[in-house]
Amino acid sequence: MKHPHYLVTTLLTSASLFALTACEEPKVDASIFENIEQCMGDPLLTEAQCRSSFKEAQNQHAAVAPKYATAEDCQADFGAEKCEPAPYKTTSGGSVFMPMMAGYMMGSMLGGRGTMMSQPLYRSSQGARGFRTAENRGVGSTTGRTKVASSATSRPTFKTSTRSRGGFGSSGRRFGSGAT
Amino acid sequence: MQRIPVTERPNLSALAVEHEFEYTPGEGISGWDESAYYQFSQDQIENDIVKPAEELEELCFQVVERAIGNEEVLVRLGIPEYFWLYIADSWRNGDKNLCGRMDLSYNGQGPAKLLEYNADTPTTLYESAIMQWQWLEQAVDLEFIPDNVDQLNEIHERIVDILPLFNIDGVAHFACNHDFEDDKGTLGYLEECAKEAGLKTRALTMADIGINEQGRFTDLDDQIITTLAKLYPWEWIMAEEFGKYVPESDVQFIEPPWKAILSNKGLLPLLWGMFENHPNLLPAFFEDDPAAVDFANAGTFVRKPMLSRQGANIQIVKEGQTIFQSDGPYGDSACILQGLQPLPNFMDRHPLLGCWLVASKAVGICIREDKSLVTGTTANFVPHVILG
Repeated sequence: MKHPHYLVTTLLTSASLFALTACEEPKVDASIFENIEQCMGDPLLTEAQCRSSFKEAQNQHAAVAPKYATAEDCQADFGAEKCEPAPYKTTSGGSVFMPMMAGYMMGSMLGGRGTMMSQPLYRSSQGARGFRTAENRGVGSTTGRTKVASSATSRPTFKTSTRSRGGFGSSGRRFGSGAT
Repeated sequence: MQRIPVTERPNLSALAVEHEFEYTPGEGISGWDESAYYQFSQDQIENDIVKPAEELEELCFQVVERAIGNEEVLVRLGIPEYFWLYIADSWRNGDKNLCGRMDLSYNGQGPAKLLEYNADTPTTLYESAIMQWQWLEQAVDLEFIPDNVDQLNEIHERIVDILPLFNIDGVAHFACNHDFEDDKGTLGYLEECAKEAGLKTRALTMADIGINEQGRFTDLDDQIITTLAKLYPWEWIMAEEFGKYVPESDVQFIEPPWKAILSNKGLLPLLWGMFENHPNLLPAFFEDDPAAVDFANAGTFVRKPMLSRQGANIQIVKEGQTIFQSDGPYGDSACILQGLQPLPNFMDRHPLLGCWLVASKAVGICIREDKSLVTGTTANFVPHVILG
């Protein structure tokens, strides 16, 4: 079952959305936390790492969370008071809803750049009750250190709406080639 | 080091088509000259180019280390305040660097002198990595050159090997100004390398880049950009409207933000200040530094804008006389003064030796020849060999 992560012109109304991913695949190390405090309970993680990975997940949240045309549809999947308005409008100007971020997952040195890549997690009110990524991959219900399917650790696909373009390029028009 | 005339391959117009270069009958491939090549000894390459270049890279890193914590230096380099912490973080996080080209004045004897470091948006990458190597193989096959020659050229292999270590997840975007074939060609080649390294890629122009409500950059399909390989200078990005979004954009840039310190010609006085009399450095001073006054009064120096490219706005003063002056659009930029180490003269051409560093390892050479002392847009790429 495929669930779109953004709205174009059509909106889903289907309530049933989480399919179980049953097939076995390699597991990798990851850490799951509901909040920064929980993360700081891990002696091997610093407060700075916890804060930056939380922020990284939070930054992705609005862009990657599943989107719904009505609060009711969202609540049917994620539970009462577990949804919030998304910072988007449909093309006809309607509101958009998304589940609240229920936690975040840090890969075990999954990313480069000296930090651990992080992504937001959501929790369904029905079916399997564990955490799920924005791409609807189950990662279990254990917080702290855990093992998850390696496919669940890839970055969620970002699709968003662009506010403006053309904020780069003016120097090139003035000076010419950027090559040296 | 010798310049050796050689027969050109007979199928240059077909090669121009193959490599997507302009070809003019009678003139050949635009920007490319294979009517001669440069020959170096193994010793020259190893001890005069490769070792010094990698050592200079280490010294450059020490300059970055110093600059990121030094407000006075950052101001002098013209880096806007809102980028200071961002650059410092990118350095401390160990954001990986990919390519840079050190331009050296070298005549085959004595230490090569660093003229500048094109650490951010280096070009002639394709000519260096691909066309030059193909020339070597075909010229050997055609028996135009000895068959026991070699070339310093592991550029392609090194890029393809190193890219997977960047931990790029998802699509890598490649952006430049598509109005310039040179820029587009160089970046297009890097994109090919990325594909060979197994990455998913997408190309766009810098002007195509959008911003969303959360301050994330987007492509033309409204996909969020998470990795951006750019052939567009950091100083331009910092000065443009969307520059203010960069520090919070969560984009992995190639080259990383800390390269903004190295691609600025202010690097040269910073290097000299820290490593005065290093054999591969020329004296250099910020023009507004009191030490620059005595240096200028001595009468022989090169004056370069801190942010200029392709030989624009360069002045050479020798014994009190201006012997060269190029114009260009960078006349308003702050300048540095550097000691004069004229490019050598081989058959009335002045070769500028570029040493390619890929992930800080010296893996290639490119020679561009111009008829003037300053290498500009009229320069031609001339291949090289190593023999003996």
